[in-house]
Amino acid sequence: MKKDEVGKGLFNEYRLRMGRLNSRRVFLQQCGLSLGTLALSTILPGGCVPANDINSNRSQPNSLNPLDPRNAHFAARAKSVIYLHMAGAPSQFEMFDYKPVLNELHGKECPPSLLEGKRFAFIRGTPKMLGSQSRFKQYGESGAWVSEHLPHFTQIVDDVTFLRGMYTDQFNHAPAQLMMHTGSAQLGRPSLGSWVTYGLGSENQNLPGFVVLTSGGVNPDAGKQVWGSGFLPSVYQGVQCRSKGDPVLYLGNPDGISRDVRRKAIDAINSVNKMTYEEFNDPETVARIAQYEMAFRMQVSVPEVMDISKEPDYIKDLYGVRPGKESFANNALLARKLVENGVRFVQLFDWGWDTHGVGKDTALEIGHINKCRDTDKAITALILDLKQRGLLEETLVIWGGEFGRTPMQENRNGVDQIYTGRDHHPDAFTIWMAGGGIKRGYSHGATDEIGYEIVSGKTSIHDLHATILNQLGFDHEQFTHQFQGRPFRLTDVEGEVIKDILA
Amino acid sequence: MIFLISRTISIIVRMKKTRIKYLTKFLKFFGLLIIIVLIVRTYNGSSAQIDYNADVKPILNQHCISCHGGVKQSNGFSLLSRTDALAPTDSGKPAIIPGLPDSSEFIHRILSNDPDERMPYEKEALSGEEIGILKKWVKQGAEWGIHWAYRPVQNPLGASNDISMMSAGAVSPDVDQSFIDDYVLQKLKSVGLSMNPEASRPELLRRVSYDLTGIPASDDLVKRFVVDQSIGFEEVVNELLNNQSYGEKWASMWLDIARYADSKGFERDQNRSIWAYRDYVIRSLNSDLPYDQFIIEQIAGDLLDHPTDDQLIATGFHRNTTTNDEGGTDNEEFRIKAVMDRVNTTWEGLLGTTMACVQCHGHPYDPFPHETYYQSFAFLNNTRDADTHPDYPRLNFLDSSSQKKLKELTNWVAEQTTSEKADEIEQFVKVVQPVIYSLEMDDFDNSELYDTKYLGLRKNGWARIPHVDLEEKTVLLIRGVGSRTGGQLSLHLDGPGGLVIGTKNIPKTKGYHIIEIPLAETEGTHDIYVHYKNSSLESRDIPGLMIDWLYFTSAFPGANKQGHRRNKDFFYELISRHHDHTLIMTENPPERQRKTHVFDRGNWLIKSLEVQPNVPKVLPQIETKNQVPRLAFAEWIADEGNPLTARTFVNRIWEQLFGRGIALTTEDLGSQGSPPSHLELLDHLSYFWMHDQDWSIKELLKAIILSKTYRQSSYISENALIKDPDNIFLSRGPRVRLSAEQVRDQALSISGLLSTKMYGPPVMPFQPEDVWQTPYNAQKWSMSPGEDQYRRAIYTMMKRSSLYPSMETFDLSGRQVCVSRRIRTNTPLQALVTLNDPVFVEASEHLAKKMMEEGGKDISDQIAFAYCQGMHKEISPGKLDIMINLFKTTMNELQSENDSELSLNRELAMTTVANAILNLDEFLNK
Repeated sequence: MKKDEVGKGLFNEYRLRMGRLNSRRVFLQQCGLSLGTLALSTILPGGCVPANDINSNRSQPNSLNPLDPRNAHFAARAKSVIYLHMAGAPSQFEMFDYKPVLNELHGKECPPSLLEGKRFAFIRGTPKMLGSQSRFKQYGESGAWVSEHLPHFTQIVDDVTFLRGMYTDQFNHAPAQLMMHTGSAQLGRPSLGSWVTYGLGSENQNLPGFVVLTSGGVNPDAGKQVWGSGFLPSVYQGVQCRSKGDPVLYLGNPDGISRDVRRKAIDAINSVNKMTYEEFNDPETVARIAQYEMAFRMQVSVPEVMDISKEPDYIKDLYGVRPGKESFANNALLARKLVENGVRFVQLFDWGWDTHGVGKDTALEIGHINKCRDTDKAITALILDLKQRGLLEETLVIWGGEFGRTPMQENRNGVDQIYTGRDHHPDAFTIWMAGGGIKRGYSHGATDEIGYEIVSGKTSIHDLHATILNQLGFDHEQFTHQFQGRPFRLTDVEGEVIKDILA
Repeated sequence: MIFLISRTISIIVRMKKTRIKYLTKFLKFFGLLIIIVLIVRTYNGSSAQIDYNADVKPILNQHCISCHGGVKQSNGFSLLSRTDALAPTDSGKPAIIPGLPDSSEFIHRILSNDPDERMPYEKEALSGEEIGILKKWVKQGAEWGIHWAYRPVQNPLGASNDISMMSAGAVSPDVDQSFIDDYVLQKLKSVGLSMNPEASRPELLRRVSYDLTGIPASDDLVKRFVVDQSIGFEEVVNELLNNQSYGEKWASMWLDIARYADSKGFERDQNRSIWAYRDYVIRSLNSDLPYDQFIIEQIAGDLLDHPTDDQLIATGFHRNTTTNDEGGTDNEEFRIKAVMDRVNTTWEGLLGTTMACVQCHGHPYDPFPHETYYQSFAFLNNTRDADTHPDYPRLNFLDSSSQKKLKELTNWVAEQTTSEKADEIEQFVKVVQPVIYSLEMDDFDNSELYDTKYLGLRKNGWARIPHVDLEEKTVLLIRGVGSRTGGQLSLHLDGPGGLVIGTKNIPKTKGYHIIEIPLAETEGTHDIYVHYKNSSLESRDIPGLMIDWLYFTSAFPGANKQGHRRNKDFFYELISRHHDHTLIMTENPPERQRKTHVFDRGNWLIKSLEVQPNVPKVLPQIETKNQVPRLAFAEWIADEGNPLTARTFVNRIWEQLFGRGIALTTEDLGSQGSPPSHLELLDHLSYFWMHDQDWSIKELLKAIILSKTYRQSSYISENALIKDPDNIFLSRGPRVRLSAEQVRDQALSISGLLSTKMYGPPVMPFQPEDVWQTPYNAQKWSMSPGEDQYRRAIYTMMKRSSLYPSMETFDLSGRQVCVSRRIRTNTPLQALVTLNDPVFVEASEHLAKKMMEEGGKDISDQIAFAYCQGMHKEISPGKLDIMINLFKTTMNELQSENDSELSLNRELAMTTVANAILNLDEFLNK
């Protein structure tokens, strides 16, 4: 049997016949619970929330739905998060961290003092310094320096806060991405989005609470672990929405099964389940009845929200979308739609920022410029669009990679390269944040004259996570989950809220 | 005390096969005793002995230990152990003076009214009751008790009545396991609950079939047990335990612990061939390999005397760690990560103890100081794996032509020299160890580890191999690829310009081959510099020779003898070519032994104190008996005196059967884990299992399954819903959702699609397009042909960074690290899988055909037939009506103009019904 024939034999035949009859019997039917009302709230918590959960001092709602909205520790500044991760680690020197002194040093051998005690992924021996491969100018009231390759971004410099003093302790992609998204370089920890949906639930029960969108052709280096739920229940893991086929796996009914038939099948399932509930009195049965209803509603609400074709032209132009294709611009527009519809956490991954200079795609003078071009307009549009809808105030937007890049030219295997490129650099990099109660037109932290070490505003990933959780209303030290005999938190035993950047 | 005696008596009575009525009498007697004990205890309240574990530790853990424990010792005071707590603090004086609460600063501080002094600092004061307990405890001498899980597993009958002695002769092997129910009933009574009646035969059959084989019972078994009632429950259990599906079902649990997967884990996440380990687990379960042996083989099978292939394959247990093929990684960093994962998995998976936190600091709550982590690490730190790209070491599976060559080769060697030498050659062909990997090179000049994996030597480049034992080594074999003609390799002693001990011309080769370099006789251990020259290389920047591994050895035997050339060629071919394989453990040779240090705060780059392999003091001490430490460690774990091993496993088995462990936290039996609901039951079962059942997993399962506790109906009474919502007290039989594997296997089994083929490489059933999108990895999901589409879920390709999506939705674990238990969820995405996943749609289609072909003439018979396939009973009239109605309304929806269309529509409507049946709550639960 061929791949596309699995489970479709009969239905295919039916569909073909229906096509011949030119029938238009498939119609959508929006309907709620067709069963008699079951008193959900009177039933004890189900198996979704682990019984030994000592999740901070807040009370879990008496609900069988693990995604019901919940209150955090204190009033939140942000309701939802859009995280734009540029997988591969974009170069701060060609985007936001302007270093004229480095330009003067271009081509000179790197002094040994900078290499001592450092571990590099690919640099061997003595590399040469590499000046910025872009020109910079200042923009906006804040006077932020921005590279010529980000012409659109210049419009929103006064909406963002730059964090120029970010550092990590991982210099390989997979562990560094894990660190960035789970707070640990080890596998098996819950992702930021999982923690957030675990803590807050979701505002819209007809959509997943934590949605992941990818572009750039492949998943991030760390794989799906970066949106996994680790030791939290799997209901909190990110749901990847796809640009081809069903937006969510298995969302669509088999061809030939109308929504009407599906409705009747779910009615039958739930009617029998109601009898089963009477037989066994198991609260999980009631939860299952509700989940089938929710699945039925998701079958409509997810394709609706994932359909960008109905957006007005000026919005499509603003983002530069390419309907029907996998594109970052599409994902940026979807991110706005999703938060607008009450999704708690939207995670974008855009792959292809690993600018080593070992080929055209990874050359600062070619590949990097293309990546800037592919994302600049859409990122700017996202901020402007959120702003014009009054959503930016309650949506926290974060942009960044998993580490920075070296001010030295890479010399992989100790050999000079044809293209310009930079090696991984965990000690200093730049990210930015916007909305959700973060200062506008601000810059926090600075690196030295060659962008190699942080000289002020040193910010760890735990600090970043503490700040994100803070904006969502969590005291990161109190937001814990009991596992393996101890309370785990996203920020491990570290992290301080970066108070300077809060509006 | 009286408590114990009375129960002991009751058990002795039972053991002597006296009837239950005596037991009842004893139970009554013993109920009375409880009351007496309670009264006595209340009357003597002021002088009663304080129990550290029950009374004191909870107070310390809740209020004190976060500042005065294993992580922080504020003001130099720690309550982690008695020694710590009685030691002088920063003030110079101890804070606890045993016997003198009034002179103890510890008591003074919790009583103080001064907010600067009063403990817990800036938190709510302790209650009067808590203070009273602590005062009394100090007065009574401030004794530390041993946490229950670290105490020996005692003979429940007392020392004089060893069960194993009793059972050795007189008692039949079918030892009565009704003690399980005794403990459960006792507890139920104390909370005002009672047991449910026994479940109906169909309910019981479904439950036990899923629990033992993971799939519904066969028609034949349904007929004999449910319809004819010609066999009893015990016979059902025996049959199911002997079914090959048993191993396939129970392997899931073990593979979660072993974090088994078919890919490497990080970034490229390439496929890994270690399925032979999965098959070993299934085979061992089916042959009921005793658990102690099962453990020893997996931790140290390679160190056993003349290990069998199976014992080598078993060591794949700890080769399931993730490796990182990403370019630019520090291989030692990821080797260390793997060893740490082995420490964590050994402790969590086999010993029910969470050690991961001791990696960075002393355990905050349990008696494991920081260095114990590294003492455990030291047991596991001398294996040959090293984050190499090919995942060495491996056990090669030779194809028939290679086997033929090997046979000829070993026969020839045995003839020329000795059979020992032939064995050695055979062993080397199978395992290719101990070789030196190119990534062990530690100094380079115009050479580099390409992609941080393979040594590439460029023009006039050299690299250093540290610390090579050259005693009696007369030849160096290198597995490498020459990319240019005219190369020359020279080997120098102790410096790039040092004494030359061997040279060789390096031609251009087709792929990997073996380069043989004769060595000058050299004594002792030296650093070797491998120097490459090639005047034909036009640039300094191009490698002329790439090296995978090097092997210093003695010359191939039988020089000058006829057949020497031919057999040496065979040998080199066999060790250089690629074979099918699985990953195994082998131990480092003496000159490659690593020292183990404590890592400062878990950071491997900052090494402090050197440590030797050892086990925590609180547990029985280890005897190394001149063994390799790893083997001694394995035997220590599998020893009957180890208090954790049996408790951990029995608790896991219980969790699998009842949906919840006797101690909920199967991963952690320490003081921060959930306390066991039935400790005496856990202990009794553990003792019974080790001493009476000789670690037989099947017998343990059988004992529990035959208990009344297991056989209860799973109806939840209103009383139980209030008093025991999570079934902690076992007032009903287990009713939990099927596992990810079972949900799939059930649909395939009921529809008749399920293949019974066992073992072999992982298979790829239908998966939607573009689910695999791994960077730098061209491997594709390509659907397996034929019946491999319909294999048991356990054989599905398990790629760590991209799990099989429908099973992931049903909580299949990622197996990045040891998974002690899966947290069951109940989500709308699960509904979408079983409604719409083409695999389930196809199963529904097949089920519909089967219903119409085998179910009888009427629609109602056909529906009843499908229902019975899963539930083993008649469908109730109400449910039947609903399904008939679904069939009819679906028919009304579908248009048909002629008979052939009508027939198709009937199939389609029946498919809708079949799919609905597979989606019923009853079908999704066991």
